Amino acid sequence: MASMKDIINSPLLLALVVGGLLYITGFALVYLKKAYTRCIELGITKEDLKKVIKSSLVFSIVPSLSIVVGLFALIAVMGVVWSWWRLSVIGSLSYETMISSSVASAIHFSSSAEMLQSASGREFGIVMILMSVGMLSGFLILIPFGRKLSKSVDRSDKGNTWKYVLSGTFMLCLFAVYIPVLVFGDTVQMLVMVSGLVVAVALGILAKRPGLKWLNEFIMAFSMIVGMASSLLWVRIFG
Amino acid sequence: MSKNKKPEGMMDPFQEWCHKWGRVGTVIALVYMVAIPFIVLVYYDSVPSLGEVINLSTISILLIYIPVGISEALSYTPILGCSAYLTFITGNIMNLKLPCAANAMKIAGKEPNTPEGEAISSVAVAVCSVMTIVILALAALLSTWIMPVFELPAVRTASEYLIPALFGSLTLGLFASTNSGTKVVKNGIMGVLPVLVIVSILSIVVRLIGGGSLFGAVGFLILFMLPIAIIFSRIMWKKGIIKVVDKETGEE
Repeated sequence: MASMKDIINSPLLLALVVGGLLYITGFALVYLKKAYTRCIELGITKEDLKKVIKSSLVFSIVPSLSIVVGLFALIAVMGVVWSWWRLSVIGSLSYETMISSSVASAIHFSSSAEMLQSASGREFGIVMILMSVGMLSGFLILIPFGRKLSKSVDRSDKGNTWKYVLSGTFMLCLFAVYIPVLVFGDTVQMLVMVSGLVVAVALGILAKRPGLKWLNEFIMAFSMIVGMASSLLWVRIFG
Repeated sequence: MSKNKKPEGMMDPFQEWCHKWGRVGTVIALVYMVAIPFIVLVYYDSVPSLGEVINLSTISILLIYIPVGISEALSYTPILGCSAYLTFITGNIMNLKLPCAANAMKIAGKEPNTPEGEAISSVAVAVCSVMTIVILALAALLSTWIMPVFELPAVRTASEYLIPALFGSLTLGLFASTNSGTKVVKNGIMGVLPVLVIVSILSIVVRLIGGGSLFGAVGFLILFMLPIAIIFSRIMWKKGIIKVVDKETGEE
């Protein structure tokens, strides 16, 4: 009978994961080519597109490194290959790490260390299936209704001002939920958020000066880095 | 007809492509994702029974994933538009893809839910997805050597605060994006006022009673708050409190 260790170190799993990642990279590149071509057709200049690509690359680094931190936390529970797969596709850093803390108890182990040591392949199979099937719920909405949901807020229908309002409501609702949770739920979280905002405002003012216009492309990335770094100070004072 | 125009009520050719081929690509990816555990488990003769997979102990895992998945699809798809397919397949939406798309639209000065905004956000999401896949592949390959750096207490602490830092930096972008384009939504914040009040009260009560935060329950909260925000925004719009005005003239 195979053990969990056999499965997480399996060359077959590795081959399947690499195959899946190649497919998804190809999917992203096709998307990129189509979107890029469409942007040019819509009159967006190559220079603007270059700025967007450069800024997106820079912006992606810090959150990706945070995901790497999550990856290492997950590796300790589920091995390299499965953790790598989960965080490269479909998974979300916060929920995958939340799951990692509860999978051991779900299959009757007292700790993740004990699970890694003693779980059978069959028991780890339960975890793999649950993680793969669980996140499908979003796709049950996206695949049949994605087009309708997008169309419901299409702003190019200039005569319908409600669509304009509705389009903004989704983003505003995210903020209206997250901001009070961050502000009232945890002092350090609030201070980190305020630090990020202050830096973003300061950089926004600086970027208006001649010769500093380039800063505009990096305001979000820089303010996010400073916000995260400020957590070290706030944790020391209030943590 | 020019490539830049589309008849009223119809979708832009890129949007059409995404909703057709993006969907097909997504279904293929999903089938593959679900197949992976089964292929490996069949090979190792370790397929668990249905009763072992779904029972009282394991339901807690599904209870985390299912509402979050539904909440993300309902709240993020209208913001992301046709880039939603790639975004959902590559995951890490709130902590990476959505802010990246918002950042791109802000830089290019395009509005969400327009052909230009959706094409630009698709470029950003695609670039960001490839970048993340590459970084994670390198991290997985080099895990033995680089793991100690990422396990430093300072790095772990800073990583825990990614979402609050993101919201700090995103707030500016939120106001910038609602002011771009030819039309401006005035008093849009009024529509989410009840959400702000309810979540604030809940957050304060939870903190006072248990000393904790609702941070882990944000997915559930969005799911319940979104209908309230939409209904209230509609009422405010009908009453003329929320208005859509021309940016240049200030007229409706």
